[in-house]
Amino acid sequence: MLPIPVVQVLQVVTIVGAAPAVAGVIARVEARLQGRRGPRLLQPYYDLAKLFRKEALAPEGASWVFLAAPVAAFTCYLTVPLLIPVLTTFPLPLGYMGDILGGGFILSLAGFLVAVAALETGSPYAQLGASRAKTFAAITEPVVLFVVFTVALLTGTDLPYALAATVRSSAGQIIRPAHVLAAAALFMVILYETGRIPVETHSGTNEFGMIEEARPFEHSGPYFALLKWGSAVKQLILYTILLNVFVAPWGLAATHQLGAVVVAMIALPAKACVLGALVAVIDNSFAKLRLFKITEFAAAAFLLAVLGVFTLYLGGG
Amino acid sequence: MLPAHAPGVYTGAANVIAVLILLAEFGMFRQALLRDQVRLYAAQSALIAVLAVLVGAVRHLPELYVLAAVTVALKAVAIPLLLRRLLRETDPDYLLDTGHDIAGSGGLGLASTVLIGIVVAAFGFFSAGVLPVSGGGAPATALSVSLSVVLVAFVLMIHRRDVASQAIGLFSLENGISLAALVVAASLPLILEVALLFDLLLAVVVFGLLIRLHHGRADTLSTADLTSLRG
Repeated sequence: MLPIPVVQVLQVVTIVGAAPAVAGVIARVEARLQGRRGPRLLQPYYDLAKLFRKEALAPEGASWVFLAAPVAAFTCYLTVPLLIPVLTTFPLPLGYMGDILGGGFILSLAGFLVAVAALETGSPYAQLGASRAKTFAAITEPVVLFVVFTVALLTGTDLPYALAATVRSSAGQIIRPAHVLAAAALFMVILYETGRIPVETHSGTNEFGMIEEARPFEHSGPYFALLKWGSAVKQLILYTILLNVFVAPWGLAATHQLGAVVVAMIALPAKACVLGALVAVIDNSFAKLRLFKITEFAAAAFLLAVLGVFTLYLGGG
Repeated sequence: MLPAHAPGVYTGAANVIAVLILLAEFGMFRQALLRDQVRLYAAQSALIAVLAVLVGAVRHLPELYVLAAVTVALKAVAIPLLLRRLLRETDPDYLLDTGHDIAGSGGLGLASTVLIGIVVAAFGFFSAGVLPVSGGGAPATALSVSLSVVLVAFVLMIHRRDVASQAIGLFSLENGISLAALVVAASLPLILEVALLFDLLLAVVVFGLLIRLHHGRADTLSTADLTSLRG
């Protein structure tokens, strides 16, 4: 038996520790699909280690916000894993601190801090990325809201643990249209939030199409490392919400015994890698949308989420 | 608020297929190429057939298998083939092989159209909610979805200003009606349903000829010029 606080800490450790590895697996799969050999699976860790050893520079005129933002944003990413079912099927004490919406708020706070830091720099590309990220975040926000509504109608609460339990309870809960539509809409939002095709090229150097990737342009050294690590952690957090709450809430520990928790700690990154491979396939099969076509992508996600609420609310689906 | 209870695997699956049919209808807003539009229509019709098989298997209505087979043969294979042939004869280089662009024919942007479609679909959902119909075949949510399919098909026909989209809109509207028929009266005599399907075939031939005629006269698929004929 592990003490509950230890399990709570392990949630954060799993997410933060495994995030670069999941990013590495996705990069590798992507490279293989393109016929390249690809980087080592552990390359993101080496990158982070290198960046942490480097000197940090700040542009002239940037205030303390510029340097504080990466740290504060990373703190936000450390908080969210406490709220969502990462390792256990039963709610841990701190899981009641916030619901899905609360987790979403903390994630957007992190995004806001990074955007403010980008505005501090005075660099046109970083500012462009920050302003674009905020503009498009505003149009994906309604999608997230409607997904939360669906969850609330399905379970009577909007605690992520409750939905995961509902999904596990019967096959009828998985196949009902509201659940399928909400999961699909959330997946599209995740593609946007993690800066993937069809919204953004993940690993390009073409500044004109950049949204999220352009924001940390002026950061360097340990601060840049925190931002990079943070975006990997954010990706794994979003994957965890999709997997452990919506799509595949299996492989979680039902008790706080050591063995069960270790299995859950291995199962989550494995599931995330499968999802990441799917994302890499999407990355390689579609073209990037033109910037002003992103509203169409958001409209499609919105359509799915709204139809989910409709089928539930009016037809009992 | 109490949690919504699970509707069961059959109901859920039937509703998911119905929703997919509705999403295919929305997908037609997006299609920029005539070829893709026809392909999406074929996929939508195939979904109707899948739903017919599902309802037939669960409700033990073997004639629905026949209906599914006829639906696939006619709507998913014959009509798309016929449409493409008719259009290819019109002008091979211009229409199909270069992928004639019908994207610009929309009166509004895609996102706005989708929003209008959502509003109209919501109306369909609400109006089905107050109808005193108890489904004999597929579950009731599928009925509200079928009304939405019909209404969204209207939006497609109204907002696209090209003959081809308008024809496809009409055909997919018929898909919505088939869906409603499956929900309300799954055991509707087969001969009636087949008669409806052949009606559709007739409509396809007529529409195909109209498209060719229009294209022959105006050298475009757009109906925008027809406005000037108004008295």
